[in-house]
Amino acid sequence: MIRDLFLLLFTATFLRAADGKVFPFPYTQEDLPNGLRLVTISTDFPNIVSVYIVVQTGSRNEVELGKTGFAHLFEHMMFRGTEKYPPEKYNEILSRAGAASNASTSNDLTVYHTTFSKEDLPTILAMEADRFENLQYSLEAFKTETGAVLGEFNKNSANPGSKLGEVVQDTAFDRHTYKHTTMGFLKDVQDMPNQFDYSLKFFDRYYRPEYTTIIVTGDVDPKQVLTLVDKSWGGWKPGSYHADIPAEPKQQGPRESHVDWPSPTLPILAVAFKGPAYSDTRKDTVALDVLSTLAFGPNSDLYQKLVVREQKLDTLGTRSPISVDPDLFEIRARIKRPEDMQYVREEILKTVELFQTELVPVDKLEAVKSRQRYSFVMSLDNSEAIASTVSRYVALRRTPDTIDKLYALYGQLTPEDIRAAARQYLVESGRTIVSLTGASK
Amino acid sequence: MIGIRNFAALLVATLIGVPAYSQIRTVTLPSKSPIVTIRLVFTTGSFVDPDDKPGVANLTAAMLAQGGTRDLTYRQVTEAMFPIASTVDREVDNEMTTFSGSTHIDNLEAFYKLFRSMLLEPGWREDDFKRLKDNTINNIRVGLRGNNDEELGKEVLYSQLYRGTAYGHYSAGAISYIEKITTDDLKRFYQRHYTQSNLIVGIAGGYPPEFLDRMRKDFTVLAARDNDPAPAIKPPSIDHTRALIVEKNTRSVAYSFGFPIDVKRGDPDYPALLLMQSYFGPHRMGTGRLFQRIREVRGINYGDYAYIEYFPRGGNLMEPPPNVARRSQIFQIWIRPAEPPQAAFALRLAVYELDTLVKDGISQADFDRTKEFLTKYVNVLTKTKRAELGYAIDSLYYGIPDYNSYIKNAVAKVTREQVNATIRKHLRADRLQIVAVSANAEGLKKQLTGSGPSFIQYNSFKPADVLAEDKIVERFDIGLHPDDIEITAVDKVFQ
Repeated sequence: MIRDLFLLLFTATFLRAADGKVFPFPYTQEDLPNGLRLVTISTDFPNIVSVYIVVQTGSRNEVELGKTGFAHLFEHMMFRGTEKYPPEKYNEILSRAGAASNASTSNDLTVYHTTFSKEDLPTILAMEADRFENLQYSLEAFKTETGAVLGEFNKNSANPGSKLGEVVQDTAFDRHTYKHTTMGFLKDVQDMPNQFDYSLKFFDRYYRPEYTTIIVTGDVDPKQVLTLVDKSWGGWKPGSYHADIPAEPKQQGPRESHVDWPSPTLPILAVAFKGPAYSDTRKDTVALDVLSTLAFGPNSDLYQKLVVREQKLDTLGTRSPISVDPDLFEIRARIKRPEDMQYVREEILKTVELFQTELVPVDKLEAVKSRQRYSFVMSLDNSEAIASTVSRYVALRRTPDTIDKLYALYGQLTPEDIRAAARQYLVESGRTIVSLTGASK
Repeated sequence: MIGIRNFAALLVATLIGVPAYSQIRTVTLPSKSPIVTIRLVFTTGSFVDPDDKPGVANLTAAMLAQGGTRDLTYRQVTEAMFPIASTVDREVDNEMTTFSGSTHIDNLEAFYKLFRSMLLEPGWREDDFKRLKDNTINNIRVGLRGNNDEELGKEVLYSQLYRGTAYGHYSAGAISYIEKITTDDLKRFYQRHYTQSNLIVGIAGGYPPEFLDRMRKDFTVLAARDNDPAPAIKPPSIDHTRALIVEKNTRSVAYSFGFPIDVKRGDPDYPALLLMQSYFGPHRMGTGRLFQRIREVRGINYGDYAYIEYFPRGGNLMEPPPNVARRSQIFQIWIRPAEPPQAAFALRLAVYELDTLVKDGISQADFDRTKEFLTKYVNVLTKTKRAELGYAIDSLYYGIPDYNSYIKNAVAKVTREQVNATIRKHLRADRLQIVAVSANAEGLKKQLTGSGPSFIQYNSFKPADVLAEDKIVERFDIGLHPDDIEITAVDKVFQ
């Protein structure tokens, strides 16, 4: 019975494409007096519940010089326990709940997520509330954890793609905190053991209800969830800190940089442009996203030429900005032979120019719209995936409402919108090109 | 509800002459979901690669999933898949070759027609072949050897442990051999191994009732004959601990080590051993003993885990991928990269922990907690239809009931004494194969031999019990002598 209802909701909502509604699940959204927000999404996927706790703090919030990587460090510190739930007890409870628990950090958010059987919801919510309100760690525990963070830096450092990303951001930005990656600069990570006091300050600033949204999805009753959250999270005190994140001045000309990778690897070329901040009211976010697929996706002329026919590249990918502040639109190509670097660069820039001058055919645009909607709906095939998707949007606008607004904009896109976005953002004066080549042996 | 419809039919097919397509096994998970998931698993893979051409199984599957069909070029296939946001993914392991994809019910017909043509009417074009061959070589040279020290260490461990057997090569092959493979090799492999009797058709979601029969009928164009008997996989025994250091220019030291075990899913000792793994080193969880002692207490690296089944791409995945079932498995410990000054100590500590586990077993409190964990965690493992379907196919392969019931029932009955006896029976801290990926191999070699010492220094105060344990670990003899350590340059690996 419930399953039938689900199908009806799912299909009916999906087919109402003209309305722009794409998020198929009903949800409730409540604000507690302390500023904490709760989003509850009931699904009919049985037994399992996912709790995603989104803190709207990421590497973007790291405003002080020499203090990069602290949002990510907190992702680690949050597992260091409280007086009531020391790490052993915390782990014991998670373990008994058969829970899969983890956390991740990006430029705009830190998210803590746990997936488990529904009967453990009261226990998990209470335990999570306690660590957000009462996290307590010793200097020794702090120093030990910084070792694990350096270990994470080390395992990433085997990949030249991580280094390239670091240099692209560092070259493209002057003042905004998107200049550094979420991992932070190596010298700052190495200095972390000496920054115990700063870490306490960071926690005091950002681990506050007004920065936090709890997303609960799965086999749950929204009323019961609200009661549980109110009980265990209602006493958390709000803060008053507002980060003064420096605005990035307008870039005045093209920039370039190069990375010499110490081991043999295939050359990589990154071509980045200053893009817009996320918007669910202007069309530029969705226009650039669609452009990235049309111009550089697996079905694009360029991909088919360079990857499939001429076989100059083994991968071609893009990252279209979906960030709180203006962020980079990036095209990245891995090149099979170093001597093709210049050719590939010219081909990418020619494609960019083409999208600034020509209008994309309507049928191609419609195919992308269809793809966007189907891939979005198909990604929501379990409670954890729903919470994970919603958490990305909550980091931006603190509500799943923004998803339907965004997809309504996708529906309205015209070829002129795509060309306008290319003309506005994919310009030489806002461009950064970084190449990476490996050692010959 | 899981339907394993003609497992029995398969057994009687040759006796009573039922239609040929009865050789195709099916696993179904019908529901009302608008998303339909199809998984086609051929119980064949790199273990039947020709001896002189390792990599044929992998390239054959690549040509089906990422080449064109007889009537459509690869570009036309991607164009047709594009608006429906579907793809056909493939994975080739030793014993299983999987083609999978999901689609919205609106697009089932369009998707299935493409899927069917890709598998049954491959295009075998030379330009696709060249592209996919290049990709495979680059994945080994750059993706694995260049960029992923941890996965490299794991795969080298397997190739060391299974040397001389059909599992002895990396499932994607080795570069100099891949270069010699031709499309004729692939066609021969396809004809011989893509048979009805090797095929398991899995489908989940709200597909129409007649759809399954249509699929089964379509796939009867595959050869209908019995498969060649699979050669037994007998890994050579290890008489003493040995190590291989893969030398490359890298910041830190990654380890994998272990030995073959005579236990696989469905065997009487499997549930007890799985409980051990869930206690000792559950994948990417902070609750495991190894993680606690190496990372949480000492801050040496990013994580430390243990496995009793093959688990590729552990650095990217949170749960094990289904359909990499094997007839022979290993026990292994994965130590994530450690800073060079702490690397020798990290290995001694992991072997010391293994030694302690074998000697002391699991305490009653840890046993009770882990039992509860495992009983519930199986729900998380099968939280998606995709995973549920994959697990159901593996259950058919191993001849066990659906995985959740199998684990829950077995774990409910298992006792602490049984778990500890199983640990003593199958695990050991000697006769290990160790693989390290590291710069300065000679330096590491010196630190790993004999009884050390391999000192550790911390940047913070540590409690007396940890420091006392460190004194033991620093001189803990892992049984390595200089002659037991081999060094190889990274560009020789899978070459």
